[in-house]
Amino acid sequence: MIRNQLALVQREIWEHRSIYVTPLAITSIVALATLAMLVFAGGFAKELDVAIFGASNIASDAERKIALTGFFVGTSWVFLFAAMVLTVFYTLDCLYAERKDKSILFWRSLPITDAEAVISKLVTAIVVIPIVTVIAIIATHIVNLVVTSIWVSVKGADAGHLIWGAVSFWDNWLAALIVTLASAIWMSPFVGWFLFVSAFTKRSPLLMAFMPLVLIPLLELIFLRSSVFAEAVFTRRGMIPLFRGMDLEGFFNENSLHINDEVVSLLAHLDVVQFLSSPSMWSGVVVCALFVTAAIYVRRYRDES
Amino acid sequence: MTSLVTARNVSKRFGAVRAVDNVSFDLEKGKIMGLIGPNGAGKTTLLKAVLGLTDCEGQLSVLGLDPFRQRKQLMQNICFIADVAVLPRWIRVTQLLDFVEAIHPNFSRSRAEELLAATKVRRDAKIRELSKGMVTQLHLSIITAIDARLLVLDEPTLGLDIIFRKEFYGNLLNDYFDGERTILITTHQVEEIENLLTDIMFINEGRILLDASMESLPETYVELLTSGNNVATARGLGPIHEREVFGKKVMIFEGIDREKLAGLGEVHPPSVADLFVAKVKGAQA
Repeated sequence: MIRNQLALVQREIWEHRSIYVTPLAITSIVALATLAMLVFAGGFAKELDVAIFGASNIASDAERKIALTGFFVGTSWVFLFAAMVLTVFYTLDCLYAERKDKSILFWRSLPITDAEAVISKLVTAIVVIPIVTVIAIIATHIVNLVVTSIWVSVKGADAGHLIWGAVSFWDNWLAALIVTLASAIWMSPFVGWFLFVSAFTKRSPLLMAFMPLVLIPLLELIFLRSSVFAEAVFTRRGMIPLFRGMDLEGFFNENSLHINDEVVSLLAHLDVVQFLSSPSMWSGVVVCALFVTAAIYVRRYRDES
Repeated sequence: MTSLVTARNVSKRFGAVRAVDNVSFDLEKGKIMGLIGPNGAGKTTLLKAVLGLTDCEGQLSVLGLDPFRQRKQLMQNICFIADVAVLPRWIRVTQLLDFVEAIHPNFSRSRAEELLAATKVRRDAKIRELSKGMVTQLHLSIITAIDARLLVLDEPTLGLDIIFRKEFYGNLLNDYFDGERTILITTHQVEEIENLLTDIMFINEGRILLDASMESLPETYVELLTSGNNVATARGLGPIHEREVFGKKVMIFEGIDREKLAGLGEVHPPSVADLFVAKVKGAQA
């Protein structure tokens, strides 16, 4: 079972190269952007003798810590957003493409159940993509800090103190891991829905997936004068149980990163226990399970000839 | 004899249409059975039922398993080629071999490599970069390297040129078939496979019209080429089918005493293709 899952997940990564190409591209772009900023800042050598995070105009260690954490959170947010877009396209494509090119007949000629096949796609969406995202986030941070450190050292400053001593790596990276995995679980009802659409639709999975999300709230508003569906679906965009009541925008607000003058902790903002005991999270997981079961059923019973 | 496939009153409906209608047959170990039928006859639906890809009514047992409910166990001992186009176009040959090796307990990587060494299939190529013939060679190499008890082939050489078709069936016999394995095959090009078959089954409109061993066909069926006054006499003996070739009448008889045809014209066994047409037309008459 686990051996099959590993092989199936590997197959998903072979087929959907964007799972690792996209984060790699973003890492490269962020690294190049940092380098460009450093070169640009070098033009103002007198004003910014050591650039960006080591800049002398950032007075205290606490401020530098906030600036670095802000950079960490900002880049993490870019990856998180990219992962969401990637997950939407991946889940809508994975069960649709195999029917379109008829390769489903080959996959079904092997000793793999439909449940194993669909679950491997779910695992790719809610485990593999988040883990690749976190690895890319960490790689981006390291690459950028190394680039900045080299720059700062060349300018004669102490990069060890100014850069590496000013940031709580484990705090940042553990928070990135928790937020990324929690996002995947929190958004799992959408993942389930997209997999189901991918399994049943004969054409335009993107349209078929999003049309009901637009039409149902509209029809509910017109005919029932209520917005129960819209609230249930769209309020999920913020993971309120994880962020101690803060919405996602609040979390990414730099001002809210202050705990006190000395400590900047992202983990302090996260409440994993509240998240794991949240009825909203579990109801989402149940909805995801229902859609995934439906996708397995459709893959099994549908005649592809 | 061990029966690998046992079908009793198997039916499959799509709405009001019965794609497979009350079909019963046995496929025994070591046989190569040809399932012959026109388009829409129910061949593919029947094969899908055998492969557990579709549910059906009636009793169907394949290798002692319920194919639809025990498909995973079944697929460890069955291989099938549905059509040359089904190998995923995005995958590389090495990835495909890696995947099948990881998934299939009865797959021999070394045997597949050995078979592929005799072809021009590059290991680093993607399927989309290979010709149709190469894709078939690759697929057959993978299938041959799986120690399976039953191989199901649904139009395996569709769209291939004559050289690849001949090579395919040559490899099938030389590399795959060893007298212990069993093959169930459908094709339109019946002339190309009739020499391979040990058994044959005709299907039309979901029903079995003929289920016999190839050995028994010349004993049961006879073709008479006749003309002139003999035509009326021959007709009186009840041919199952009659057609005209170059002004002469060709009649096919079933289970007739050959002595009765003596003196009426040229007598010889019918080809499988002619017998098929005779059975289909005879059933429609």
